[in-house]
Amino acid sequence: MATTHARAAARLMISPSVILLLGWMLIPLCMTLYFSVLRYNLLMPGDTPFAGIENYQYFLTDPAFTTALINTLVLVVGVLVVTIVGGTLLALLLDQPMWASGIWRILVIAPFFVMPTVSALVWKNMFMNPVNGLFAHLFKALGLAPFDFLAQAPLLSIIGIVSWQWLPFATLILLTAMQSLDSEQIEAAEMDGAGALSRFRYITIPHLGRAATVVILIETIFLLSVFAEILVTTNGGPGNASTNLTYLIYAESLLRFDVGVGSAGGVVAIILANIVAIFLMRAIGKNLDA
Amino acid sequence: MARAVTPQRKALNTAIAAIVGALIFFPIFWTVLTSFKTEAQAIADPPVWFAFDWTLENYTAVNQRSDYLLHFWNSVVISVGSTLLGLVIAVPAAWAMAFVPGRRTKDILMWMLSTKMLPSVGVLVPIYLLFRQLGLLDTRTGLVIVLTLINLPIIIWMLYTYFREIPGEILEAARMDGANLREEVVHVLLPMAVPGMASTVLLNIILAWNEAFWTLNLTAAKAAPLTAFIASYSSPEGLFYAKLSAASTMAIAPILIMGWFSQKQLVRGLTFGAVK
Amino acid sequence: MGHISLNKVRKAFGDVEVIPPLDLQINDGEFVVFVGPSGCGKSTLLRLIAGLEDVSSGEIEIDGRPSAELPPAKRGLAMVFQSYALYPHMSVRKNIAFPMKMAGVSAEEQERRIAAAASALNLTDYLDRKPGQLSGGQRQRVAIGRAIVREPAAFLFDEPLSNLDAALRVGMRLEISELHKRLATTMIYVTHDQVEAMTMADKIVVLRAGRIEQVGAPLELYENPRNLFVAGFIGSPRMNFIEGPEAAHHNAHTMGIRPEHIDVSATQGQWQGRIGVAEHLGSDTYFHVHDTGLAETITVRASGEVALRHGDTVFLTPQADKIHRFNNEGLKQ
Repeated sequence: MATTHARAAARLMISPSVILLLGWMLIPLCMTLYFSVLRYNLLMPGDTPFAGIENYQYFLTDPAFTTALINTLVLVVGVLVVTIVGGTLLALLLDQPMWASGIWRILVIAPFFVMPTVSALVWKNMFMNPVNGLFAHLFKALGLAPFDFLAQAPLLSIIGIVSWQWLPFATLILLTAMQSLDSEQIEAAEMDGAGALSRFRYITIPHLGRAATVVILIETIFLLSVFAEILVTTNGGPGNASTNLTYLIYAESLLRFDVGVGSAGGVVAIILANIVAIFLMRAIGKNLDA
Repeated sequence: MARAVTPQRKALNTAIAAIVGALIFFPIFWTVLTSFKTEAQAIADPPVWFAFDWTLENYTAVNQRSDYLLHFWNSVVISVGSTLLGLVIAVPAAWAMAFVPGRRTKDILMWMLSTKMLPSVGVLVPIYLLFRQLGLLDTRTGLVIVLTLINLPIIIWMLYTYFREIPGEILEAARMDGANLREEVVHVLLPMAVPGMASTVLLNIILAWNEAFWTLNLTAAKAAPLTAFIASYSSPEGLFYAKLSAASTMAIAPILIMGWFSQKQLVRGLTFGAVK
Repeated sequence: MGHISLNKVRKAFGDVEVIPPLDLQINDGEFVVFVGPSGCGKSTLLRLIAGLEDVSSGEIEIDGRPSAELPPAKRGLAMVFQSYALYPHMSVRKNIAFPMKMAGVSAEEQERRIAAAASALNLTDYLDRKPGQLSGGQRQRVAIGRAIVREPAAFLFDEPLSNLDAALRVGMRLEISELHKRLATTMIYVTHDQVEAMTMADKIVVLRAGRIEQVGAPLELYENPRNLFVAGFIGSPRMNFIEGPEAAHHNAHTMGIRPEHIDVSATQGQWQGRIGVAEHLGSDTYFHVHDTGLAETITVRASGEVALRHGDTVFLTPQADKIHRFNNEGLKQ
């Protein structure tokens, strides 16, 4: 509902964003596609002959690929589960009447401000180190053998670190949603004879659905490309135990300087991300209207 | 109306929240505390809590080893620069989508958001090579460009959700009152959107400050922001816990302090404008 | 000055024609009310005149000047919105000054006009407050003040009272009417409330589905509705419609009789029925009468208190000279 004049202005105002994002998407995408069919290694200057699907074959049949794919999924799903369950519990807690709630909320939010490289380093060295880490001290104090987290359970440890970073985000969104719940609805349910548990089950949980979708969408965007945490803690190891797709492609292209294989991996990652994206966009698109 | 809560119940809630909050915050607290210890005390078993010789030697050492101020300044330029540039591009787009919605508005918005889902690593190689070609590797300009582009969809989305809360009638009133498009945006829309814009700016500064894929892969020494500066402590210096803690504290303190001072806007911003 | 004429104005959103070609003359100084049920296109029509929507075809002349292509600000019209649309970040003074600032009016002249408008609207004490600190009625006055200072050719009101509570609504209604008497400027007023239309208008335009059903002075519409729709829309409580043999007896397909034109008696009359709900207001008494065999319910309005209750049998007699007759197309015969 607007005049043609306004519509023309709108088109003009939206075009810089569209053009920039289109360029940002298409130019590198085309280059990646192009490189992915070349035999192109930065360590071997000279010709970059056409290689067909060789790079794809190499990348997809590399056992590291399957491992990385599974690791990526485990990482994303693991962190999502921890943060949504933990976030709901924390939000429920912070939604209770209490003193100085602002202070506790700040403490809970704080990890979100910590850059990934810092949190990875701090957790790796000061907590998970099998000799001098706090966990090692704690285990010894309890009479247990120290556990080398990053060597023996590298992926789980990384899930732990990343969950710590994203828990505040999930908590905040769910808390905000909880506080927007109409108290009359709760009171109505109470009048209808619903106990605390049924009220949570039938009123609060459905109300949080939209917020949870937002958490899933945004976290997935960031979790699919977890990188710094792996680079700093395990370098993808031991072996490929904590290598996700992002790290694998990074290793191919910038550690082994194989632009061709790295690009093929990039194309695969883009395709996989798009599958996830279509799925998520549908869900969020529906929820955006509500 | 809420019913009265017994003080006992409230005290119990407070106690649980305090314990949980302290546990979640503990790694940060411990890092800051350790940064004031000597290296020996930092790894002491059992851990030393407060009875140690407070010292600033780690901070001095970190600054001698690498130029903290340079990396700090890089982080500031990159995060603030990319956020402001993004805002300039995003405000007109968000205005158009919020107040002149068309049949395809939602599709465009969804498409913009979906570019965010394009895995960075998928385009790492071409961007790296392009930047090498253009001499943008290890420059602040290069990083400002990249971070502007990767955060643009989020800025647009957030502004869009905030703008949509502003009744269109007010902008129409401005139009009736003789304001042209620029005046309508400058005198009416932006002043009304200040809280939303503040949230958007804060959140994006934080996202850019903490961005650790492009900053690690496109910088070496000169333009490296704090994320990369810290990554250089990965090993073997990481084993010097006190110095690692000092460097970490310096890297996260600016954002932590900014976050605490602007808590209200930030909480709003953290929800990406998606939940009210 | 404020003569507005619409010639063959048509508006379509995509394939949906919300206003078929429409002609209307609004004379200088007239208070014209667009009234109709929600979705009848009255607000769209107002927005077309304002320039907030483009006409799909046709011409709008304001004081003889073709204006359909002009941007809103160039049409010399001022609008008061349903939500008041005050600028929340500006004080009342700045709100009122905004259109003058945009037009480049000198500072002294701005001050003079603000002072005049504020004293006329009882806003002098509130000039430095923000809209959020004002009551609904005061906000409404600020919106009107913002319109007045532009000295427009015509004022456009888009359901300006619908956000006020009932008591305030009556007060503001009077204020707007008085304002019109004082300024003698053309006003176009959109409402779905036929009481507002009847009490304020010089000329009422009844709209349905984008079409003008009837144009006329309030009493003209009340006494001489052109069709069933207007007859049913104007007047409260609604006109009773009776079909079948009783209508045929009056040589009509449908006969209409207003509740106030039916005499009530406990003992004798033309029609017999039983009282369902009786509403005793003191000044008037409304009876909803069932079982007359004429229509589901016949509503009757009796002056003063009439001591009949639920379940009582009553006799009704329509006043013969007040009967409206409509043919099978719903048009007045």
